[in-house]
Amino acid sequence: MASSGSFSSGAGLTTLNRSSQPRLAVGCRVREGEDGVGALLLPEGVLRLKGTAIDILRLCDGRRTYAEILAEMQGRYQSADPKQMEQEIESFLNRLQQRRVIDF
Amino acid sequence: MATPPLALIAELTHRCPLHCVYCSNPLQLRTNSEELPTGVWTQVLEQAAKLGMFHVHLTGGEPLARSDLNSLVSVAHSLQLYTNLITSGIGMNEKKLASLLAAGLDHLQLSFQDAEESSADRVAGVPVHARKVALANLIHECKNLAFTVNLVVHRHNLDRLDSMILFAESLGPQRIEIANVQYYGWALKNREWLLPTREQVQRSVVIVERAQERLKGQVKIDFVTPDYYASFPKPCMGGWGRQLMLVDPSGMVLPCHAAAVIPGIDFENVREKPLSWIWEESASFRRFRGEDWMPEPCRSCDRRALDFGGCRCQAFLITGDAAATDPVCSLAPTRKLIDERLARANSVTNPGYRSAPAPESADPWTYRSQPA
Ligand code: SF4
Ligand code: SF4
Repeated sequence: MASSGSFSSGAGLTTLNRSSQPRLAVGCRVREGEDGVGALLLPEGVLRLKGTAIDILRLCDGRRTYAEILAEMQGRYQSADPKQMEQEIESFLNRLQQRRVIDF
Repeated sequence: MATPPLALIAELTHRCPLHCVYCSNPLQLRTNSEELPTGVWTQVLEQAAKLGMFHVHLTGGEPLARSDLNSLVSVAHSLQLYTNLITSGIGMNEKKLASLLAAGLDHLQLSFQDAEESSADRVAGVPVHARKVALANLIHECKNLAFTVNLVVHRHNLDRLDSMILFAESLGPQRIEIANVQYYGWALKNREWLLPTREQVQRSVVIVERAQERLKGQVKIDFVTPDYYASFPKPCMGGWGRQLMLVDPSGMVLPCHAAAVIPGIDFENVREKPLSWIWEESASFRRFRGEDWMPEPCRSCDRRALDFGGCRCQAFLITGDAAATDPVCSLAPTRKLIDERLARANSVTNPGYRSAPAPESADPWTYRSQPA
């Protein structure tokens, strides 16, 4: 079994909860592009992200909690169904965590 | 106009302290005196950033053999390029690592030949495994450096894949890349020794899937499957001249690692032409871009936008025609050339069936040489 060392990059806790403080993992960064299209740079390549995806990632600063990020996004997009939005953000963050793009 | 390239592969040097039998460097290695000076590499990085590239992959040979590696990382970083160092680790020490980090290195990929010291050293041709493990521990302590462990797999280590994954995991990376040997350069020369059996391949797929499940959210595992056993080819480099540019140690600009073997194409050199011109205008980058060059069955195949007809270099190396359908494709008229190889690989009469060649055997494998 891997020594505790394996997970010292902060990935030990793998379930997202309201007090999680998501942040970009080491080796991942957002590069702002023109016209609101950002690029998420990863060790193995680049993901082009639009609008809300980039907004969410900018909020993943390691200080804000997941609850705060949700509130912020729901505040910005008041016409969206908050339940549905929560589901979408949760699955987005979980997917990125599994790709080792963010840590909780 | 062509959409801009995503990344630059900077093959800084062909010098390397290792002699891996699966090395995909060309057989014609660039010599020391052919290498580009720092000033030209700096211009290349500037041109890459201007073209809109995101990543620069610093590789070789062993990039640590270049004494100006640190300043090149620093230039790339100041241009907002994502810097990735692909290394065997030999030539690294604590001080160099610290200065690379300070220069802005984003990610380091360290390759291992095996989990077992004697087998690893036999494949590398030099006793380096223990030093690499020590280095991995140093890297793991750098909290702000992303770390990938790369394992190259083939006939002589696939049976230990389980323990190799555990070994890689114990080094504490965020990612593990398990890459089957691709048959170019020295690897193609040693194909007889390296090509795995069907049974090994099938077992490895299950082992990797299990490890991916077990390490979900902890370590990301990427798996490069062996294309000889696939029904369709890989979309090599995301297509010729579609995503990547490679600059070799002498400044020759190629669409991939192996393309220099294709006869009849004049590849440009960064000493003479800027990258943007080479990307957009050069005959070499346009040669197999798009679909006009495609033969049947690719031309009317639904998969042509997915795999672009496969790898041009593999087509040339195996069929003698760079414009042929990649022979690994099950629809290719030349697929039998691959099947013959697989039949040999799966035959118990193959001399390499069970073991790697003994060090003094009459018919040894060929170690990658050093540039003159
Ligand atoms: S594969 Fe081995 S010999 Fe070839 S460049 Fe890499 S470390 Fe050197
Ligand atoms: S025929 Fe050509 S395009 Fe179709 S799958 Fe094979 S290589 Fe790809």
